[in-house]
Amino acid sequence: MNGQAQEVINYIVKDVIRRPGVEIREDTPLVSSGLIDSLALVNILLKVEDVTQMRIPAGKVRPKDMDTVNLMFATAQRLGKPRK
Amino acid sequence: MTNQILISLGAVVILWAVAWQLPSLKIRQAVLLGASYLFYANWGIDFLLVLIASSVLNYVLGIWLRRQPSVGRLWIGVTLNILLLGFFKYLPPLIEPAAINSSLADLVRHVVMPVGISFWTFQGLSFLFDTYREEELDPSLVEFCLYMAFWPTVLAGPICRLPNMLPQFRRIATFNSADISVGAQRLLQGIIMKMVLAQILASGLSPGAGVNAGFDQIKSGWGGLDVLLLGIGFGFQLFFDFAGYSHMVIGAARLFGIHLEENFDRPFLSLTPSAFWTRWHMSLSFWIRDYVFVPLAAARREIWWQYFALIFAMTLFGLWHAAKATFVVWGIYQGLVIVAHRLGQRIKRRLPFTWPAFLGALLSWVSTFCLLSLGWIFFRAHDLNQAWAMLRAVLIPSSYDQFALPESFYILVPLTAVSYLFCKQMESFVAAWSKHYSLQLQMSGERLDSFAPPGSLARINLVLVALFNFFSERLWWWLTPAVFVVAVFISLAIFSQTSAIAVTPFMYTIF
Repeated sequence: MNGQAQEVINYIVKDVIRRPGVEIREDTPLVSSGLIDSLALVNILLKVEDVTQMRIPAGKVRPKDMDTVNLMFATAQRLGKPRK
Repeated sequence: MTNQILISLGAVVILWAVAWQLPSLKIRQAVLLGASYLFYANWGIDFLLVLIASSVLNYVLGIWLRRQPSVGRLWIGVTLNILLLGFFKYLPPLIEPAAINSSLADLVRHVVMPVGISFWTFQGLSFLFDTYREEELDPSLVEFCLYMAFWPTVLAGPICRLPNMLPQFRRIATFNSADISVGAQRLLQGIIMKMVLAQILASGLSPGAGVNAGFDQIKSGWGGLDVLLLGIGFGFQLFFDFAGYSHMVIGAARLFGIHLEENFDRPFLSLTPSAFWTRWHMSLSFWIRDYVFVPLAAARREIWWQYFALIFAMTLFGLWHAAKATFVVWGIYQGLVIVAHRLGQRIKRRLPFTWPAFLGALLSWVSTFCLLSLGWIFFRAHDLNQAWAMLRAVLIPSSYDQFALPESFYILVPLTAVSYLFCKQMESFVAAWSKHYSLQLQMSGERLDSFAPPGSLARINLVLVALFNFFSERLWWWLTPAVFVVAVFISLAIFSQTSAIAVTPFMYTIF
């Protein structure tokens, strides 16, 4: 697992889910499993932007692209533009 | 009208079954589309023409957008759909009370909203948004029209997404006994929920003792308990009606091998308001999340903007239902409840103590259930005056001495709520128990006597789970008589002049 993905996972566990004993991996379903809600999804998307230093146009993001950390980073690569 | 619909439904089912056997994909899809149009035409040829026009419009817009997926083209498509929906759904109620004397205003006053327009317009919009997001979607005109007019969902959803439906419309049809078994079970479950449970709550155990009487017959003098129970009662009535309808639709589609997305997932067990909206009317809730809330909320980083986006999205949720102030206020209220919960969580994290997890979960469930139940008052009230008058009663302590409804109402609603919650908890318990002991049964093999000696508790559980599995695997042995009895009962109720239970229309077909 690369450092950026680990940083986002740490953020999800510590600042979003905040429940002891919950293990998140890069391919853990987050939205479809009900682990996170819509507001949390937005905050995670913004965190991925911070970590990758990319601007991700949320209007272009497909719902299925946000279900796992792996998919979010792939989306950032596909749609993201470097921040000014 | 009811006889005509039932006859054409029979024709649709036959056509659908025949079409599914045709070897040519294009001919099969055309027959399926014809069957869906035949079904929808029962509500009026005019409505069918509007549906066809909307389908062709969105198909052409999709081709145009695919060539150049720009924001400008997307917004032109969205605007045209909103104008179409607005003309039929929102303009007539706005013109109606206004003293405008013109032939155009008179024409608008006579416009009738096509059944299901809110649902299939949103399906068309989801196609445009998905095309803008460069989903791999290339439906033919027939496939797209079939997606828009698919007969189980055309009247009141669930709101489908083309990426889920298109592969299913294109695959080779095979009749699968599991699909027929599951489909029939869902159909039966839906019929019982809608025809029995929703009806009983609506009408009550005696005349004037149901939820409908509490809103439609009583004009003032509600007590605090009346309003609380009317909120809870209407919530369950709406759930049994709409979730029952959803089960019927999902079951009907499943009979023919089509898998639709779920629309409800035990919403009354939700521990938080946010969780509730991932379990109630899921197709609309997820539509608003994916196409409105996430793009809007991610536009800025400030927390106040996210809360604004949340309230805006829920207001849209309310406005989708109807152009009435009560629905707008209902949406705003739901948004404020979610924001209040979020703020409450932030405060709780700063407290110098923590409380036991069980107590926290219980408090969270109780507050979620009560706040959402009170919200249904706005949804069901005739106007804001009635809603405010009812909600005021909840806040006045002395009003809890007043009881405006018959005695049976105060038994019916709590009994329904407690029974439902108990059944759902038992379902989870039985599922966990069955899984645990089925595994043990498998592991014990020929060493059963040493594994679980006769007369021991473990042995009793293993025998019970074996029986449970036996009957579960042979559902049709005892389900078929139940289906037959329910079908006869409903047929008598519909065709009889003096039916014991009046069959009211599906509630969500008015939106």
